[in-house]
Amino acid sequence: MMTQAFIIAFLSLCGAGALLAVAMPRTRQGSILAVTGCLAAIALMLAGSSTLISGENFLQPLWELPNLGRMTIGIDQLSAVFLLVTGLVLFPASIFASSHLERGAISNGSLFTVLLLALYAAIGLVFIAGDALSFLLAWEAMSIFSYLLIVASRQQEDGKANSGFLLLAMGEAGTLAAVLGFLLLAAGAGSLDFSAIQGTSPGLGSGLRWAVFLLTFFGFGVKAGLVPVNFWLPRAYTAASRAFVPVLAGATLNLGLYGILRVNAGLMPATDAAPGLVALVIGTLTALVGILYATTDNDLKVILAHSSIENVGIVVAGFGAGMVFVATNHPIPAAIAFVAALYHLINHSFFKTLLFFGVGEVEKQTGTRDLNNLGGLIKWMPLATLAFLVGTLSISALPPFNGFVSEWLTLQTMLRSTELSSAAVKLVFALAGAGLALTAALAVTCFVRVFAMGFLGMRRLNENRQLLEARAGTLAPMFILAALCLGFGLLPTYVIPTLSPAVAPLAGASASDALVPPFFASDPAHSALPSTFVKDFHDLGAQIGQSFLPGRGLVVLHRGGEENPVVFAMSTSYMAVALIVLLGGTYVVIRLWLTRRRKLRQRKRWDGGIRRLLPEMTYTATGFSNPVRVVFDAVFRPTTVEDTRETVTRHFRTAILREQERTHPVDKLVFHPVRAALLRVARALAYLHQGRLNTYATYALAALAAVLVMYLIQASW
Amino acid sequence: MELGLKEQVKERWAGHAKCRYDDRSDLCEITCARASLAELCGWLFIDKDFNFANLIVEEMPAAWRLRYIFYGGAGSGWVHVLASALCSEETFPSIVKFVHAADWHEREAEDMFGLTFEGHPRLGDFILHDDAWQENVDPMRHHFDPQMAIRYRKPAADWRPRRIVQESGAFVMPVGPKYSGVTESVHFLLETVGEDVIRFMPRLFYKWRAIEKIAEGKPADEVLLLAERFAATTAFAHGLAFCQAVETACAADIPPRAAGLRVFLAELERLRQHAGAIQEICESTALAVAASEAGIFEEDLLRISGELTGHRYLFGMLAPGGLLLDLPDNDCRQALNKSQAVLKQLDNLETELRVSSSFLDRLEEVGYVQQQVAAAYGLLGPVARASAVAHDLRREQPYSGYSQFRFEVPSEQEGDGYARLRVLFSECRQSVHIMEQTVAAMPGGGVLESFKPREGAALGWVEAPRGAAFHWVRLDERGFVTRYHVAPPSFANWHGFHVAVENFAFQDFPIMLATFDLSVAENDR
Amino acid sequence: MSPWVIKGIRTGIKTSAYPRNAETAAGVTPGLPVSSQMDTGAARALVDICPTQVFTIINGRVNVDVDRCIHCYRCVRGVEQPARWDSTYEWGVESNQKKNLLPAFRKSINICVVDAGDCGSCLNEVRQLSSPYYNIHRLGFFITPTPRHADVLLVVGPGTDHMSLALQKIYNAIPTPKRVVAAGVCALSGGVFAESFTCSEGVTDILPVDVEVPGNPPPPLAILHGLLVAAGRKPPVDLQPGSSQANATGE
Repeated sequence: MMTQAFIIAFLSLCGAGALLAVAMPRTRQGSILAVTGCLAAIALMLAGSSTLISGENFLQPLWELPNLGRMTIGIDQLSAVFLLVTGLVLFPASIFASSHLERGAISNGSLFTVLLLALYAAIGLVFIAGDALSFLLAWEAMSIFSYLLIVASRQQEDGKANSGFLLLAMGEAGTLAAVLGFLLLAAGAGSLDFSAIQGTSPGLGSGLRWAVFLLTFFGFGVKAGLVPVNFWLPRAYTAASRAFVPVLAGATLNLGLYGILRVNAGLMPATDAAPGLVALVIGTLTALVGILYATTDNDLKVILAHSSIENVGIVVAGFGAGMVFVATNHPIPAAIAFVAALYHLINHSFFKTLLFFGVGEVEKQTGTRDLNNLGGLIKWMPLATLAFLVGTLSISALPPFNGFVSEWLTLQTMLRSTELSSAAVKLVFALAGAGLALTAALAVTCFVRVFAMGFLGMRRLNENRQLLEARAGTLAPMFILAALCLGFGLLPTYVIPTLSPAVAPLAGASASDALVPPFFASDPAHSALPSTFVKDFHDLGAQIGQSFLPGRGLVVLHRGGEENPVVFAMSTSYMAVALIVLLGGTYVVIRLWLTRRRKLRQRKRWDGGIRRLLPEMTYTATGFSNPVRVVFDAVFRPTTVEDTRETVTRHFRTAILREQERTHPVDKLVFHPVRAALLRVARALAYLHQGRLNTYATYALAALAAVLVMYLIQASW
Repeated sequence: MELGLKEQVKERWAGHAKCRYDDRSDLCEITCARASLAELCGWLFIDKDFNFANLIVEEMPAAWRLRYIFYGGAGSGWVHVLASALCSEETFPSIVKFVHAADWHEREAEDMFGLTFEGHPRLGDFILHDDAWQENVDPMRHHFDPQMAIRYRKPAADWRPRRIVQESGAFVMPVGPKYSGVTESVHFLLETVGEDVIRFMPRLFYKWRAIEKIAEGKPADEVLLLAERFAATTAFAHGLAFCQAVETACAADIPPRAAGLRVFLAELERLRQHAGAIQEICESTALAVAASEAGIFEEDLLRISGELTGHRYLFGMLAPGGLLLDLPDNDCRQALNKSQAVLKQLDNLETELRVSSSFLDRLEEVGYVQQQVAAAYGLLGPVARASAVAHDLRREQPYSGYSQFRFEVPSEQEGDGYARLRVLFSECRQSVHIMEQTVAAMPGGGVLESFKPREGAALGWVEAPRGAAFHWVRLDERGFVTRYHVAPPSFANWHGFHVAVENFAFQDFPIMLATFDLSVAENDR
Repeated sequence: MSPWVIKGIRTGIKTSAYPRNAETAAGVTPGLPVSSQMDTGAARALVDICPTQVFTIINGRVNVDVDRCIHCYRCVRGVEQPARWDSTYEWGVESNQKKNLLPAFRKSINICVVDAGDCGSCLNEVRQLSSPYYNIHRLGFFITPTPRHADVLLVVGPGTDHMSLALQKIYNAIPTPKRVVAAGVCALSGGVFAESFTCSEGVTDILPVDVEVPGNPPPPLAILHGLLVAAGRKPPVDLQPGSSQANATGE
């Protein structure tokens, strides 16, 4: 009942907000968005958490449609996790968007508010759809609103319509593939209802399963940004206004992953290792390609977009590993893999949204996103820099922040492949593990660079332009998410049991007991651990906190068999305490004790005795990432250096012009040929083109309708 | 050929230039109108294959006189191209369009005298740094008042390096002036995007001591102290060039024994300087044992010099008219024997270096200078000879009796760091070879002959260890110096150094610097 | 074993016995003129011939200001009565600015070498300190490229105008306690460059110098002695025993 009420509240808040936005004057748009957006986000959180707390799935049939079956909304534990996370992200995102709406990020405020709230509703609906039809309709709505938001939020005519259209076109291509996948699945199951599909999917033939897997994996992968269907993502993110892009990265990206998870792990659990391996390989490749591009680009938004691709890759690799474990009947590692993937997905939503807030503020203040032109921001906006630092530490997977926990779990999962029997599968896991490890290393490089070049050092551009600390409307959302990043990093033993019920149906086992043994439990009966084992760990301090903390403990520990009692174990909470004690202790020892009588003197940096150190004499972001570019040039050839020299009077050079054209290998190998072929087809169909984007949207809708009609005919047959 | 040149000038430049040929000094003076100056110099440099030596600006009572000094290969003598303008006019055509070697000479003249060279794309901010001095400070003008220049000091506050690399993320890496262990003060600006030096901008003259200014109005034997001491690692060579200039200007002859000893000491200095250069190359590649060995040889040779002459850098030996101190034949023979022993060990070192692949990997194909580039930039000394530009003044314009000695001018084709190292080793052998010949045929007699000073001007030249050095001296009738101008070899080689370092990785930079054996003191004067 | 190791072993030990014992090899020092009693005519000749005014006559005694001697040898070569010339090498003198240096460093010392317009010879002699003959590492002296790690600033050269700001920056960048050693006659009095408008009359105008080492250039052993004096491991010498007395009486 409660859940239902929250859902209704959520939808009504979105609707009411949209109506108010139409009715009220421009100046009020910010407050409308802030109030209704935040309340809607809270409603989403409550809907999710009430389901998670009660542990009961919610199912509400809606209308019976002729020939199509019943439309249903439902929230199971998986949806609930996604709802909760989306709420947690949309809450600060709404504050940020409204703040920047007031500061001129968007020209047409009311349109933006309406569309954004509509998008909220569509996102919520995707998660609560209980059948294929409502899912697809909500999905479609979400795609179109995202597109319209990108177009509506543009400030200059710099090809954003093109990027928005690209997003829509790619989204529609993906949707069509997913629709086809769903239809095949529904045809096999004889129903569009998720529960019915779930019941009958094990009986499907392997050819059909492959078709469904590939169609939905790459179809939803478009939204998520998987290789090779991700080239739209950086462009769309750059085109989107700073007020909207956090939502794009923090909420809509998750939908693609939700789709993949829902279909390939929920509706149609894997029976064969191969699809899982495909997901694992594609995920790893996505992660590597993403981080390589993120490390070598200079536009902050593009860096974050490519980094999103990277993180999606890590999540999908985790999914893939889980699918393999499910198919090979290893429920516990499967549950751990799914938990790791889900954990990382949540973490990514938090830190990426946080980072986009920071980038939005930087762009607003400095007028640039080019890392080569930024620098020294810490002097002007120390608080925003602090919050941004938390984001970069989290995304770099450094303890005790959240990124560390999920990436560590994912990598540990890869090592669980030792339990698998097939050598070939083990090899794939090993390579994927190596790839992910490299990704993690590069991610540190990438974000050290972002932070150092953007916020430290000297200001490089507009040295005289006055900068200010970010306002509360930016700082508050940033610190909310920073706190979440820290919290999810410090308390994995509370997060994992929350996520565990969501993945238990997918994996067939609970990760909770396997990962978070009850070190706090005084009741030996409750403990699944041998008492000597517990004693050993208590000697190490695993029970510290037991008297005042609820729960099972602060140690994440995966228990193996007899000969290998501890497969892996870690505790970010204790690690954080140790870090604080060590760092604080070092400070106390050195500063307050050993050198307490010495005066601290600060001298200017040593500059080689130069007369004046100019900003152009400091390292640039390009220079910092140049080794990465050089090393991976041979593998990826992402850039081709064009070296032109101009000379006058034979030996004097006036300019050395070097142009670097960046060609994405996926673009070059996959999309350029495809696009060329499509263009030929399009020319043939040119009479359909009217040059208006809305027409194209109509076409896309018509295509969806046509497919549905085809299904109707087939169903009534 | 010389007469041929005179006739060619008459024929080719009729109406533009007048030619006067002095048989005794093998010197062809071409007086040229400003309008055809650049073409004439270009014709000499490119078509006639003359080398550019020096540009001397003299502020005469009523006019500017510019003297472009060229010299040919063996037997082709000297050409001075003279151009003049009224004092009120401060503009000359730039010859860099044809003679790139004159690039820095014109920049120096612009900075020192305030002359403008039309057509030169890079004037300003050279010797007088723009971020340290205001405009319109012309230190070499007669009326220059340092007190005023310093009192009204107003450096350009917004000075920025002139960048030419236009690429996203390119930046300027500043190096120096204090940048490494025991290094001379020099400032480099390296334009880069990270790994490679795309463009190299040296900012020299941090050590500029203006010796040419303080030399003015001093007796020649005091200016000799400056000539010896402005670049003391090659003190004897520069002192010798100055003495020869004074001796030529006063038409003084020096005793044959002094000439023989001068050659002996000059070669001893070359040997010592090359050992030092080899030591720096070994050290730049972090080859510790070889660097230590070469360091031993350098100190050995310093001690040999110290024992022989009293001073480790051969100060206080030279005097216009000969030498201050006669060295007993026996001492010379002993010094030679010791030098031969050092050479033997140097040969051993070379043999071992030639098979040390880790060492060769750092030197080979590093800091490559093409022959044409070396010629166009007028590179000098071992650097040029390693790029197959085998000029050597000891052979081509012999002085101090070098013509009577048999020796080879080593040269290599490759133009890389390894070629430069091989040239250094070969020259060490040739130096000892020349020393042997001087000791074997050392004439007797005195070493110093006084002479009567007279008014005049002359060029003195030597092949210093780092390359050809040209000292222009003008004396008044008392034998006091009124204009002194030095074109040291490092000035030319610093100018061309950027060719070698560009498009190489940062970690090769110290190695290329070592193989060029550049002296900042010599350049900064 | 690498042939280089064998070569190194074969070369054997070349290192000077200094500072434990005196160095006896020939050619390690150019020597310095010393004050002496002379008859008036010869003394006048010396005063006249010296281009840098090293000699003064005080109370019938030829007094030598070693801070000015540029080793031109004109007072010993080609004159009838040459000046007295001493071939020592322990030339580390306490600066007039700072007397009675207390030992400031207990362990190894990092030296930052700065070229303030040097002609190359002083710097070359500093370079020799790292060669096997002198090998200052055995004494716990290390040359560091950055002033941040330095204890001792070793300055050579007359202090050119373009380098004066850099010199000050370097001096300020060195953490206390620090010592400044000025090596070479240029660093002490400007040497032959003193009258140039781009040079100071020695770096003593720019920095507070603790130890002065005359010589043009001071040989490696003299620089080493200066460093030992700066480190408080050797007593400073008095190269002008008569002059300070004379000055005192003069005042």
